[in-house]
Amino acid sequence: MRAFSSYHPSVLLIYFASVLLITMFTTHPLLLAAAFLGGICFCALLERPRVFLHSMLFYIPLFALIALTNPLFSHNGETVLFFLSGNPVTFEAFLYGVAMGAMFVSVLHWFKCCNRIMTSDKMLFLFGEMVPKLSLLLSSALRFVPLFQRQFVKISQTQKAMGMYSQDSYVDKIKSGSNVFQTMLSWSLENAMDTGTSMRARGYGVHKRSSFAVFRFAKRDAVMLALILVLSACTLSGTFVFGEVFAYYPRLSKIQLDASTGTACVAFLILCFLPFLIEMEEKLRWKYYRSKI
Amino acid sequence: MKQMSHKMKNSLTLLVIAVLIPCIVLGGMVLFEGKFYTWTSLCIAILSCVPFLYLFEQKDTSANELIVLAVLVAVAVAGRFLFALIPGFKPVTAMVILVAIYFGKEAGFVVGSLAAVVSNFYFGQGPWTPFQMFAWGFVGFLAGVLTGLLRRHKACLLLYGAIAGVLFSVIVDINTAMWIDGTFRLSRFVAACISALPFTIEYALSNVLFLLILAKPIGDILQRMKKKYGLFAGVK
Repeated sequence: MRAFSSYHPSVLLIYFASVLLITMFTTHPLLLAAAFLGGICFCALLERPRVFLHSMLFYIPLFALIALTNPLFSHNGETVLFFLSGNPVTFEAFLYGVAMGAMFVSVLHWFKCCNRIMTSDKMLFLFGEMVPKLSLLLSSALRFVPLFQRQFVKISQTQKAMGMYSQDSYVDKIKSGSNVFQTMLSWSLENAMDTGTSMRARGYGVHKRSSFAVFRFAKRDAVMLALILVLSACTLSGTFVFGEVFAYYPRLSKIQLDASTGTACVAFLILCFLPFLIEMEEKLRWKYYRSKI
Repeated sequence: MKQMSHKMKNSLTLLVIAVLIPCIVLGGMVLFEGKFYTWTSLCIAILSCVPFLYLFEQKDTSANELIVLAVLVAVAVAGRFLFALIPGFKPVTAMVILVAIYFGKEAGFVVGSLAAVVSNFYFGQGPWTPFQMFAWGFVGFLAGVLTGLLRRHKACLLLYGAIAGVLFSVIVDINTAMWIDGTFRLSRFVAACISALPFTIEYALSNVLFLLILAKPIGDILQRMKKKYGLFAGVK
């Protein structure tokens, strides 16, 4: 599963930024549906099937919760379904809740895919030039976290071996935790001094920091970037700039299928399914090659 | 010559901050009319971090100070795993407060906001990341401003820890309420706050507990580092 993630990080960042921005800030039901389906399909490819199905146990209730509670908070809309303790529950508010639920769930799924693909090394590669100090800080911190986790385990095991904090009570847990935390803090800070001295000895801060990167901007990245930009531009101009804002209150707008909205919807549908199609193509090609062996 | 180019770079950055960013905000407000609040709040959360982080980027920070900050971020985040056995006990806010008190407000902001980024690499980035960055950064910055008071009176420190826990929750709840509705609605915000109330209380209490037990020993450790290696000499 690395056909899509093998593109240049800047292309990937622009892709996720445009999909997420459009999904977050549109109210148009067709665009939301495209983002929803695209996000879920891509996520299903990236995750293991069992994990993916298990996560649905969280997302389906979340979706239902948002859709069903919106009419309780919002009493806008013309079509009153029934009254609940004196307050009108409207059809429009329910539909708006469905739309927002779809938006929320799709944004969460897109972020999940983004987390999988935009790994920290890619982020640091992209922003390292712009904010050299912060990115150095961030990359060292990211390296320290797993190191410290292991050290935490070592220290607490040592304590246990010495027979300290052996009771299973809340107080003992806190005592042991805080003790380990202190030990850890002074150990790591003293180590940091060595690291800092060593960095200075190797000339940190004398010159601009150079960095090694494995990413190269190839021709196929340029093609992909152009495609992404054209599709996002079509979507933005078709719905946000020239189109009307899709209103839910007081009455639902009609979904107009004129040229600009139609182009926008098709463009966004392609944009959302781009990674899915790329991964599928790779999969099929793999199957085909294997069948020839 | 080198000085010149440095100056130019600085003014270019200022230009970006002064012109480009307002353009993006205003453009988004026009473009995303239906989601005006969501867009504006996201922009405010991101933009309020920019000046602090920009100042840090410009300031002279020694290699030692840089690595110490990285270690503090990592300890705060890794502490979440250490205390995972104890529900609701997360050391990040308390650590950020203590760092700010001893190493200054800039260090507090940087450690707070980066702790949000780093911990979200484990717990998942999302639209909440900028809000958490801002919330933790702000908690740190404010602690740095109030450092004299917080260092002298333990009661003030504990009170600040509790308030910081509530503040953090409220800022993140604004985010939740706004994302669910697409606009800001007070009743939804209140509902989000109330449904998060047990967590908020647990969070505030755990901050107080953490500060009660660890403020003195961690303060000593940080103070000693400062004296021994001459770190953050500008901070009292």
